[in-house]
This record gives sequence, structure tokens and C-alpha cells, in this order.
Amino acid sequence: MAIIDQLQKISDTVWELPAAYKDGMRVPARIIATEKLVREMDEAVYQQIGNVATLPGITRYALCMPDGHSGYGFPIGGVAAMDVHEGGVISPGGIGFDINCGMRLLTTNLTLDDVKPHLKEIVDLLFQRVPAGVGSHGFLKLSHSDFRELVEQGARWCVERDFGWKEDLELTEEDGCIAGADASKISERAVERGYNQVGTLGSGNHYLEVQVARPEDVRDKELAAKFGITIPNQIVVMFHCGSRGFGHQVATDYLQTFLKVMVPKYGIKILDRELACAPLDSPEGRDYFAAMKCGLNMSFANRQVILHRIREVFSQVFGRSAEDLEMRMVYDVAHNTAKVEKHKIDNEERALLVHRKGATRAFGPRHEEVAARYRDIGQPVIIGGSMETGSYLLVGTASGADTFFSTAHGSGRTMSRTKARKQWHGKQLQHDLEARGIYVRSTSWAGLAEEAGPAYKDIDEVIATTELAGISKPVARFTPIGNVKG
Amino acid sequence: MLRTPITLITGPLGCGKTTLLRHILRTRPAKIAIVMNEFGEIAIDAKVIEGKNVRIAELGGGCVCCSLLGEFEAAVNEIIEKVAPDMIIVETTGLAEPEALVFNIQEALPQCRLDGVVSVIDADMLIRFPELGHTTRLQIEGADILLLNKIDLVEQSQIEPLETKLRKINPTAAIVRTERCQIDPELLFGIGREKEVARPQHRHQLDFESFTFSCDKTFPRDCFERFADSLPASVVRAKGFVRFPDGTQLFNFVAGRWELEPFQTDRTELVFIGKSIAAEKEAILHALNECVADK
Repeated sequence: MAIIDQLQKISDTVWELPAAYKDGMRVPARIIATEKLVREMDEAVYQQIGNVATLPGITRYALCMPDGHSGYGFPIGGVAAMDVHEGGVISPGGIGFDINCGMRLLTTNLTLDDVKPHLKEIVDLLFQRVPAGVGSHGFLKLSHSDFRELVEQGARWCVERDFGWKEDLELTEEDGCIAGADASKISERAVERGYNQVGTLGSGNHYLEVQVARPEDVRDKELAAKFGITIPNQIVVMFHCGSRGFGHQVATDYLQTFLKVMVPKYGIKILDRELACAPLDSPEGRDYFAAMKCGLNMSFANRQVILHRIREVFSQVFGRSAEDLEMRMVYDVAHNTAKVEKHKIDNEERALLVHRKGATRAFGPRHEEVAARYRDIGQPVIIGGSMETGSYLLVGTASGADTFFSTAHGSGRTMSRTKARKQWHGKQLQHDLEARGIYVRSTSWAGLAEEAGPAYKDIDEVIATTELAGISKPVARFTPIGNVKG
Repeated sequence: MLRTPITLITGPLGCGKTTLLRHILRTRPAKIAIVMNEFGEIAIDAKVIEGKNVRIAELGGGCVCCSLLGEFEAAVNEIIEKVAPDMIIVETTGLAEPEALVFNIQEALPQCRLDGVVSVIDADMLIRFPELGHTTRLQIEGADILLLNKIDLVEQSQIEPLETKLRKINPTAAIVRTERCQIDPELLFGIGREKEVARPQHRHQLDFESFTFSCDKTFPRDCFERFADSLPASVVRAKGFVRFPDGTQLFNFVAGRWELEPFQTDRTELVFIGKSIAAEKEAILHALNECVADK
């Protein structure tokens, strides 16, 4: 029987692969998607999420979000919560190599009419000041020891050196500094790959966008106002990037470590080698957790410096200070991460290591970990779509417990990068987008073609699914007008 | 000016990519530039030159090892300009999906040609982990030559089923069984930028054989192209020069994929390498002779 026929429909948005599907599954696997989205997923996603369900300590379900597609070990869109006290494992394949790849959103008090005449200038300057591309270097000249300090302190390191405002920290997950990051657990090679990349976008699907909140796209006026979206056709800036070569090297280093100890030392049997892991409560697991947190901090710092550069650019173009332009952060959220969180399982509070790989944390109102400013309304969730289709600001909900308060992170690819490159031509795409009022700068034409709109799932459908499933609620949709593509 | 051949080496973490690189450097006399993310274990204690897009370490014998500082395309251009290697070998990380890089080479580097994609697969890993990872699968799918490595770590009887498994994912690649990546470099590479066609040598891979063809006549192009398209799957590599009415071309064939590009020489000289191809030799030579006889 084809694997898709093994999926049991639990509700309109929940599909379950029973634990009996394959040997070793400890819990069922669940995909959060409409029937259309679940059928569009590649079959490897079902197999991968089934494999995740075999990992030691996994609690309740192995989950996949509506934008899921296959990835290294876990699908991208995978969520798995491991019980820390029941031998729960940590797996780099469940976090992603781009540790703390994430989104940051800031508002301005400018409108489309204010920005339109200066759009090219803004985008060109952003392209200059926020380096993009595979090996791009940042303007920050750090020594290796500065960098080791930075990865332990995250965005706080940057704000202390005037790259940002104090309130930026309050609006970043964990105040932009994850406790327990230990630079003695990262390799020299990882430092070498990261020390000159703070303040850079990188390549692939990373981008920086100037967007507009059209009045008809504001879904919840009251919530939008609380997040700072108050003016018709208000300009916002959204960007997507992570920990660059640094996070990649940390992941590579520990995958190699885990491959060595997983079977002989811990007797962990896995089906797919890409799921290499170790118990969180083991020397190797703890070391990776501490090193991975350095990746989280590097990424928060990276986005903090980029935010600073964006403020500089707008300030220069409009001849007004960033404060005067009210360039305030809405939020910064990680979508490649693992964190120990308290969750209620059968009325009992348990400490779970929640892996989110291409999935966004989405705590509802009154959750203690939500920034004080938003505690009454819930955590902001930022989901980027393709550059042609727009992006969303959402809010976490109280009804998200079944996904450990996790939701989608993007629209998810419908085809491989190569296939997209064969189908579209970057230069032509830039031209077409410009004709539609979207000005794009990119370091690579081929890379731009990868990001063509039809190479992605329909963002509106992904968002509608998360709302229907009760795991996040849309607040506003943003349309791009300028894009710097990594 | 001939394009510089690029060979891509891919494969999961710990499969033996670095071992393969060391083996190539030991056995291949050409001027090779190796491009890797980090020097790793290849260029310990070497003299390092900092470039704009690359860091270059000398390995002796004209070979260098390069780590990227900037964009891949810019780095390759800088290497060609500074070192003028006969060939470039790119080692990808075990986590990389090779297809994007293949596309970059084909689309964004007109001064280079993709000589082949070599994937190293650990036989022991295939036995121990029943399901193939997403990235590993892409690395197998994208290969022209698959090295089924570490066969000394698995039972003899297990090898055949493993080849079948690989064949299902990639029906066209040549599969070569290796221990510690000991492979005849003639199988891995086509012709270097300035190299004469390689003579068949006696140290070929266990069950690999080779034979040559040479001739002074001119080939009709369509006949030769038909011939190249119909080469049997047992031929892993074919290389050499072919004289056409409008000039001689360099011919490079790997696992069903082939290319021609202009080259200065007068004679047609070809080498065929493959698994037990003695049986096909007659037919191949006959087809070539038919082409020139057609005239």
C-alpha cells in the first residue's frame, strides 16, 4: 500500500501515520496540513517524519508543519519534543545546519508614497551595506576572541556596542542571548568560518525585504496596532537569515561526534544515518547543546547588526534619525532551533527539548516566555513567503498545545532549487518583478531563479491551514516592493 | 583556449572523500587545484597565500588546495587566473546537495566544463542504516561515477544487493567497488586542459579494461554523435580526439554523458574504459570504422 494511504485523517488539518507503520516508531507521526497540502508533499516527508518518531525520548507525536518538505534527516517543518528525563536525544538534523535561521520584522512610520520615490536608492544602499552571497564578509572586524565573546552574549554584545537599541533585546526571543552558550565547545574551524560574517545575509533563500502593509491586508486591526502596524500602506522591513558558515560548521562537527558514539556508547538504533543524535543528558549531547546555543546567539547578533545597518540606510536616505522614523522592532523569531521548554502532557508538566526545524515557536497569550510587551496577546510569529507572494505577521494561540506551540515558518518549496533554476531565468525574473513594482538586487541570477514564486507553495494556503489548525492566527499580510536577495 | 575541467566529489560525512583526494594527489601527475570548504587534513603545514576569493595552499608538484573566502564562481576564476591548473576538483561537504553546484558550473562558469560528479558511498553505512537519508539520496542521484567504498567492511555476499540498491536510485552511473577509495584515476577523469590523451595503462581497476582506436580519416559528425549516444552502459569513460570536417574536437564521455569541444590536433585517437568491455570491443571498433567508411 502506498504510504499516503496509510495516513489516517484525524481532522481537516491533521493526518496521522500510526506508530505501527514501521518498526521502531515510539509514537505516531502527525502532519498538520489540508488534504491538498498533504498530497502535494513529497513521499520522503512521510518516511522522514516516521523515522523521527523512532528517536529516544520522543513525546506524543513526531510532527510536520503544513509547509513541510524533505530535508537532512528531519523534514524541514519538523517538530519533535524529547523528554529530557527519559533519555531524550538531541539531533542536529532536527535543528538544521543554519542554526537559528530566523526572521526579524521592524516597522517604520513611513508610507508607500514616502518610500516609492527613494526605493531604488534604499535597496541599492541596503545591498551595499548588508552583504549577501555565499562567502560574504561583514563590516564588523572581529578577532577570534571577540567572536567567542559574541557567541556567548548574542545580540546583547551588539547593543552594548551601540549596534541597536535596548528595547530590541526585549523584542527578541530570550532577550537575544541564550543562556548556557559555551564557546569552549565550538571548534576553531567554526570560529574561522564565522568571525567575519556577522552582519551578512548569506545565500540561498535568505533575503531582506522592504514591504508594505496594505489596508485590505490587515486582518486584525486591533492586534496589528499592538504590533505597531497603524498607518494605511505602512512600510515595514522584514529579513531572513541565520548563523552562516558558523552554524553549519557547529552542526558538521557534532554530527561527526554523534556518528562515532551513537551506537557503541549509547546503543541508539536509528533508521537513517542523517538522524545522528546523542542523549541530551550525556557529555556529547550537553556539549552540542552548549555549542548550538552559540549558533543561536551568533544568529541573533547577526540580525541585530543587520537591523542596525537598515536603520542607518533609512536614516541616510530620509535625512532623519531612526528614532524619528520610528524604526522599531516588532519581533525576532528563530525557526531552526531546539530549546528546553515546559509543556503539559496529560496534565503533568514535563521538561521537553523541543526541536523546531523550519518551524516557528508560537506561544499563546499569557505564556510566561512571551516578551512582556506582548504577554497579553501572544507571541508574534513572522512567516516569510516567496518574494512574489508576500509574507505574514501572525500571533501564537492558546490552542497550539498539540504542536508544542509550533507553527509553519515559510511557504515551503514545491520543487528543487535545480528544477526552479531550469525553469526560470534570474535576469528575466528581475525584469518581470520590476514591471510589477518590486525592485530586486541579487548577487546571483541563478540563485534568484530559485526563488521564483511558483517554486513555493501558496503562502495563503499555508497560513490558512495554520489558522484552521488553531496553531497561529494571521494579523497582517505584507507585499514586497524591494528585495535584497542573498 | 580549452575549458578547465571540474570534477565534483560528493558523499555523506565520513564516506572517504578526503581519502579519495589524498589517493588522487598520490597517483595523478597533473596540476590539480582542489577546492574545499576548509583545508582539513589535506594541506597541513603548507604555505598559504591569501587571495581575494580564495586561500591557496601549495601541495607540491604544482598542485594546490584552495578554501573559499568568497563566491564559488569568483573563487574558481581566481584559481584559474593564479594557478592555471590542468583540472579542478571540488570537494563538497557531506551535508551538501550537489545539484546546485553542478548547475553553477554549467551555467555560471563558461570557462569550465563539468568533467564528472563522483559520489563516494560507504558500503558499511548502507548496511547499518536501512533507510537512505535525503541528502545521501541526492548525492547518489547526481553522480556519474559511484564509488561503493569500504567494501572490505561488509560481507562479499552483501555487495551485489547494495549495487542493486544504488542502481535503482541512479540507473546510469558507473558503480566502482573500492577499498579506501583505491581507484584508477583514469576512470575518474577525462582529459586535462593541456594533456595528451592518456594511454591505457596496466594498473586498471580489477575488472576494468580498456582499448584504443586511432585513425587518420575524417568523421561525419552526425555518425559520430549517433555512435556516442549508443555506447553501451559498460563503457564508463571514453576520451580522446575526433577529427571532423570542420576541425578536430576533444571528446569526453562519462557514464552516458558526453561533450565535444575544439582541440588542435590532426589524428582521431580514442580510449575506451569500462567493465568487462572486451566483449563490446569488436562492436565499438566496427561502428567507428563504419562511420569513416560511410564517406
